[in-house]
Amino acid sequence: MGKWTRRAFIGAGVAAGGALVVGIAVRPGNPIDRLSPLVAKGKGEQLINAWVKIDADNIVTAIVPHVEMGQGIFTSLAQMLADELDADWSKVRILEAPADDKYVSHDIVREFAAPNLEVPAILEPTASGSFLSLATVMTLQITGGSFSIRGTGQRAMRTAGAAAREMLVAAAAKEWNVRAAELRTENSMVLHDKSSKSATFASFATAAAEQSLPAKPKLKSPKDYKLMGKPIARTDIPEKTDGSAIFGIDADLPGMKYAAVKAPPVVGAAVETMDATTAKTMPGVLQILNMGDFVAVVADGYWQAEQALATIDTTYSKTDGDGLDQDALFARYAKMLDEAGDSDGDVEAEEGDVGEAFANAATKVEAEYKVPFLAHATMEPMNCTAWVREGKCDVWSGTQMPLMARKAAAETSGIDYDNVTYHNAYLGGGFGRRAEMDMIIMATRIAKATQYPVKMIWSREEDTMQDHYRPSATSRFQGGLDKDGKAVSWSNIHTHLFDPQEAPTVPYYNIANHKIRKIDVPTHLRFGPWRSVDHSQHGFFIESFVDEMAQAAGKDGYAFRRELLAGSPRHLKVLDTAAKMSGWDKPLPEGHGRGIAFVPSFGTIIAEVAEVDMTGKKPKVKKIFVAADPGFAVNPDGFAAQMESSIAYGLTATLFGEISVKDGAVQQSNFHDYPILRINEMPDVAVEIINGDHKRLGGAGEPGLPPLAPAVTNAIFAATGKRVRELPLSKVDFA
Amino acid sequence: MKAVFRASALVLVITLAACGSDPAPEPTEQIVVREPGADASEASDTTAPEPAGEATASLVAAGKSAFNTCIACHVLEKGGANRIGPNLYGIIGQAAGSADGFKYSDAMASSGITWTKEELDSYLANPAAKVPGTTMMAGAISDAGQREAIIAYIEDASAN
Ligand code: HEC
Repeated sequence: MGKWTRRAFIGAGVAAGGALVVGIAVRPGNPIDRLSPLVAKGKGEQLINAWVKIDADNIVTAIVPHVEMGQGIFTSLAQMLADELDADWSKVRILEAPADDKYVSHDIVREFAAPNLEVPAILEPTASGSFLSLATVMTLQITGGSFSIRGTGQRAMRTAGAAAREMLVAAAAKEWNVRAAELRTENSMVLHDKSSKSATFASFATAAAEQSLPAKPKLKSPKDYKLMGKPIARTDIPEKTDGSAIFGIDADLPGMKYAAVKAPPVVGAAVETMDATTAKTMPGVLQILNMGDFVAVVADGYWQAEQALATIDTTYSKTDGDGLDQDALFARYAKMLDEAGDSDGDVEAEEGDVGEAFANAATKVEAEYKVPFLAHATMEPMNCTAWVREGKCDVWSGTQMPLMARKAAAETSGIDYDNVTYHNAYLGGGFGRRAEMDMIIMATRIAKATQYPVKMIWSREEDTMQDHYRPSATSRFQGGLDKDGKAVSWSNIHTHLFDPQEAPTVPYYNIANHKIRKIDVPTHLRFGPWRSVDHSQHGFFIESFVDEMAQAAGKDGYAFRRELLAGSPRHLKVLDTAAKMSGWDKPLPEGHGRGIAFVPSFGTIIAEVAEVDMTGKKPKVKKIFVAADPGFAVNPDGFAAQMESSIAYGLTATLFGEISVKDGAVQQSNFHDYPILRINEMPDVAVEIINGDHKRLGGAGEPGLPPLAPAVTNAIFAATGKRVRELPLSKVDFA
Repeated sequence: MKAVFRASALVLVITLAACGSDPAPEPTEQIVVREPGADASEASDTTAPEPAGEATASLVAAGKSAFNTCIACHVLEKGGANRIGPNLYGIIGQAAGSADGFKYSDAMASSGITWTKEELDSYLANPAAKVPGTTMMAGAISDAGQREAIIAYIEDASAN
């Protein structure tokens, strides 16, 4: 270690309310001097490194750079940090990292994502690499891509906890004048067994912060885990149960007014004229704004704003999207797919010669599948509160990208980035919708015009009609089987590619010749990431077609997939487990059927079996069996909850999720025509977790969703012989 | 396996947003009906329905009972006497420290505040922070809704 200098931060410390870095000599590389004013302002608090602080009462706070949207991530990330630190869980608190560049600058990420850890440089080596690199996600403070645990948790939280532990031990060794190796840690205490000395972490916090950051903190092996792998109760449950949890929509400040907004029904149109004669006279109304791309009414109360907004007559400019209907859109997809023929389009993956293999195949299978647009329908509608005044801007919301929100607010308000503060709260559902910035930008524009604080809330109608949708899509397949019913060729062409890039590919299936292509079809609706993103449609496309090939080969869907996965023991184990859980071979009553589907995504391998009752007018999904290998489930209860919620979300889409356009506008507007699964429609769900590789973790939030739809439709086929090639099921007549 | 991929769509979207390619247009039309705090009856249109509807009436009622915490020190009637604190009749719109015959603190007298509803709100939220050195030692109201109600009551009572 080179020479280091004692840094004086008294000025900054006092300015920030007496931050305790004052007087501490921080070693180069440890960013706590810059960060303390942001996160360790309290009395007696000491930041040890970027992600851990300890206060005088021996409370350990884990600072997490992700947002809580119901997925339980605060708890799991804190669990990872606290375990490596040997912290007493009852004394662990959690703090969301502030939306500040200082918190996510590259050096911090680098410091805690040292490549020498026992995790691969690329988290989930798939055909294309990872979904998003750690640096991207952490430096942008994104919560998405089922990334938090496998990325941030595995590489930053654990390292930070282990590093803090080593720093505390080093400080204790120095103070007690013993060798560090003689010390151990337990329940937020440092212990020296030889001399029976023990002391709290807090008593060494200041001295620990003066230690150099360990270059390679030693991480625990699974046998030593105390918190990881345990179904620890989520810390956000009590406040979400008693109603004290604060969501973005709860923002409340003195003098705050409310805005209701309405955008043109056809996305891309402009508001040409606005007649506010009646609205002007209505109670509570303060301002009526034509923002060009939407109309806003600002009033003393939200109800008043909404009532006045409803009386405003608007005309909109013409756009290319005006005449478009859903059927015409699907016809456009079909035409462009026809035009792409056998060779055009962008090749996403290719091996062997599909043309020749298909031509020579003993059995040829062809099919086309379609899915509709889907809205996110978060329980908490889009909202944002903004206050723009002389040289300052404050914004409150719940977003998956706090730092991006701050940037968007700065650009929109024209106020210097340093004078913009973004305040994030809990998200009442994210699913990708809250990775968009439209609500932040709109609220900031309104507040810029009024110059007083305004809370903008979208109505449920706006929320449904102005979403950034999961694209509607069409996918076509040709598959070849040899005379033994073995798959020899797989060719696919589909519309759109958003993310992840490997979603349309099947590298895990042994098919010697395959070619996968996509074409981009222009549509005026905005696309956005929707839980599991492109896997949500490709899971259905791929696993439906695999089932059709199995049927053509005269084989059972489970047996056929076993052949395709031969040589991949980890994959096979997941498939076998799901089949076993479901009692695959046991007969079912008349009119009932079982279907299986297998989709690895976001680093987690999942197979699901659905049991469906087709004796009534509509399909009734009775049971879902989930076998999942996420490498290692940090919080098995949280993981299972994510499987269950993926099934609720995915089944909503499978049974009735459909956004369609007519005359360019979205036809659905609220829960009566965009229904959400009800509790009586929820199947029994059984989840079995396989910890297949503790070094390489997978995600939890999304991977449970892609296999759901095909498992259900394959079960419907098993029960009725009817193959469903278009979702949702509400469009299909089963009479 | 040969794989041909383009850059991640999600990352692409993010980068675009970060570049601020989307400038923030100002409103093409801005109708200001009323400034917040201004009397709702000043609304531009004469056809305006009675602004003091049921909601306002109940707010005033709530304010009247909340004002009980003030009456030990303040009266709220035309020509009423000053007590420990000054008469608050007609305070909205008035300059701070202008009740006849009341001996204000220097801090209040020189504060330069004009009592708009907003100013009242922030004073009542934390008198000592708003006017450091004020001699009003009680009466801070932490609940924003209660402050709103009290202010509505002061306004209503002053109109009679
Ligand atoms: C313990 C007595 C006391 C109570 C209770 C009290 N006040 Fe006061 N108030 C005062 C005094 C004294 C002053 C003069 C302060 C100064 O000069 O700094 C004052 C000043 C004020 C002023 C400024 C008046 C002016 O003319 O500039 C307002 C407004 C006010 N009070 C409102 C309230 C309200 C509303 C309440 C109840 C929520 C309240 N006060 C409760 C003692 C009190």
